[in-house]
Amino acid sequence: MNLEILYLFLIPALTGVLIFLVGKRSRLFAERSAVIGSALTFVVSCKILIQTTQGEILSLFREEFRVDALGGLIAGMVAFLGVIAVVYSLPYIRKETERGVIPRERFHSYYGWIMLFLASMLWASTTNNIILLWVIIEATTLASVILVAFYWNRDALEAGYKYAMLLTVGITFALFGCVLLYAGSSPHIPSGLDPLKITEIAKVAGKIPKSIALLSVVLLLAGFGTKAGIVPFHTWLPDAHAEAPTPVSALLSGVMIKVGVYAIIRTVLILYPFYPVISPLVLILGVITMIVGVLMMFFQEDMKRLLAFCSVVSIGFIIMGLGLGNYLGIYGALFHLVNHSLMKALAFFSFGGVIYATGSRRISELGGLGKVMPLTGLTFFVAALALGGIPLFNGFMSEFTLFLAGVKAGHAWATVIAVLVAILTLAAFIHASYNVFMGALPQNLSKKKITEVPPAMWGGMVILSLLCVVIGVFPQILYPLLYEATKAIFSMVAMP
Amino acid sequence: MEQLTMYIPTISLSLIITSYLVIELRNLRYSAYAYMLQAVLMCSLFVAFANQNPGLYYWAITAFITKVVVIPYLLLRYIRRTTNREFPPLIGYLGSILLISVIVIIFYRLTHQYGEFIAPTPAASEEPFRTNLAVSLTIFVMGLYCILVRRDAIKTVHGLLILENGVHLSLVSLSPLLKETAIIGIVTDVVIAVYLLLYVIFGVYQKFGSTDTFQLKGLRW
Repeated sequence: MNLEILYLFLIPALTGVLIFLVGKRSRLFAERSAVIGSALTFVVSCKILIQTTQGEILSLFREEFRVDALGGLIAGMVAFLGVIAVVYSLPYIRKETERGVIPRERFHSYYGWIMLFLASMLWASTTNNIILLWVIIEATTLASVILVAFYWNRDALEAGYKYAMLLTVGITFALFGCVLLYAGSSPHIPSGLDPLKITEIAKVAGKIPKSIALLSVVLLLAGFGTKAGIVPFHTWLPDAHAEAPTPVSALLSGVMIKVGVYAIIRTVLILYPFYPVISPLVLILGVITMIVGVLMMFFQEDMKRLLAFCSVVSIGFIIMGLGLGNYLGIYGALFHLVNHSLMKALAFFSFGGVIYATGSRRISELGGLGKVMPLTGLTFFVAALALGGIPLFNGFMSEFTLFLAGVKAGHAWATVIAVLVAILTLAAFIHASYNVFMGALPQNLSKKKITEVPPAMWGGMVILSLLCVVIGVFPQILYPLLYEATKAIFSMVAMP
Repeated sequence: MEQLTMYIPTISLSLIITSYLVIELRNLRYSAYAYMLQAVLMCSLFVAFANQNPGLYYWAITAFITKVVVIPYLLLRYIRRTTNREFPPLIGYLGSILLISVIVIIFYRLTHQYGEFIAPTPAASEEPFRTNLAVSLTIFVMGLYCILVRRDAIKTVHGLLILENGVHLSLVSLSPLLKETAIIGIVTDVVIAVYLLLYVIFGVYQKFGSTDTFQLKGLRW
């Protein structure tokens, strides 16, 4: 009985409920509760991460909840970015409220929803029940709908409607996929064992009829792929990432889409050894995703949309790694998953600083901000260089691992495309970063009093920047985490 | 109960007809009533199948509470606060009915004929489960059609509900032994999704002055 699993998602969930019930009376109460709740959750996630990295598998209620190294890694990322996002939100949301962008009566609900959002993602990383996995993945969408539409203006409502509709319809395909997997495997699971458990399904995955297995893979890729932002199911992603308040964008891009990837790993990868056709399909999806993502980056005038399409590129890299199917590919995919969470959250937080100071997010309206906001400029450049795959930054290390894995798996063509995509991503970032932070301040900004963001905002940005650099220089510090997580994936997959 | 089993084909056909009504009725309130009727038919189908699998009685209770009571209440509440008339779709009555009929006939024939490819167990490819599976997947496609073709936001929620009814119905053939807790989890998600969608659509109605999704074109590329 590892009760810490329960604490992991009950602490943020109950904090969220408490904020909804009492937070309206006091803004300070809502803020403090969210900070304490997310900090406690982070402490619990650290304990779980340490245990799982030592090879321990935590479980609860006869393995209804099961956290291996992969679950521990995802939970750790969610809780880590969760606490940074909550602290970052304190000045950011206050300022948005003072500007009148957020109505005062809805102030507390922001923290309530964000805590429920964190709870849903953490729950997703702990469940071992295939239907409950679907239920919770859908719950992550539901908990974030109001956050996406939080500004309640025309664009935010449009983004909120599309987000809720597309993800709900998309994920319904995954429900069919989950049910088919469960139904196809249950006759082969010995009586007395629960056929809903993913670990039991994985053991008999080879006995699932071929048509059912392949159909469920297609449905799962479409369903959970919508959540992850795989092309062509990615259309919700730029709208939602751009219109949500920046700390929410950081969570959506940093961790929520990774929960979709996590669901794909848990459900699709278990069929890899039995049907060799699946991994090339996943690989092609990954390559198409990165190509579409990088091309769309060049058309963006809104920096948040540019960052959103960059997330599509990174999901392409991660899916490519999973599609390669070899140890190095999956290791590289997980490595890039962690790195992307850090660097993309950093990019959103840094650009959120620009929005905080200027109120604008259009690249053409910005310029020369590096002089007045040196720290924000520096952290954004760290994120841009990391995302662009420059050596000595973490993004390079994971992308390089994926390039090597591509060649090793005999898919040099995928590596060539990935290298080109990485170069184009860097080009798009150089262009955008230069226009925002270099040159002279445009007239509309020179009249404003622009200063550096407060410590609650830059604190998280500095921590993330340091991590991007430290992992880039010493990638081996992540090795134990990634090795155990990759081992957890391979140990769950039954061999023919 | 034996008699109810005889009515399975009739109820299945009625489910397709009610899907037509939900999609084609231009009055959103009547459309919601048609959905309610479909939900009642679904509950009776669960009871009919419960003859072979008593666990389905619980499914019927869950479906009744959520689909006959809660969801129609939410729909009617938000229709009252917005508008009763569906924003005119691009395809008229006749064209739409013809188009859906073609889709329904092709899809039903395909899924019924090749049932064994989608049936995870031998029992699921036998009658009456084979017909039920074909009907549920056809209803699913009808819901998808409604979401893709209709421009009224509340109508797309109706489409989502039909689509979800298709999924729910397919579980009778695909996984009849699924635990009640899993079913409760699935339908709870649906209820919350519908509530949040209607809440956001109400915001759209307030800001845009209509529920026409064609106006939601601010965010492109």
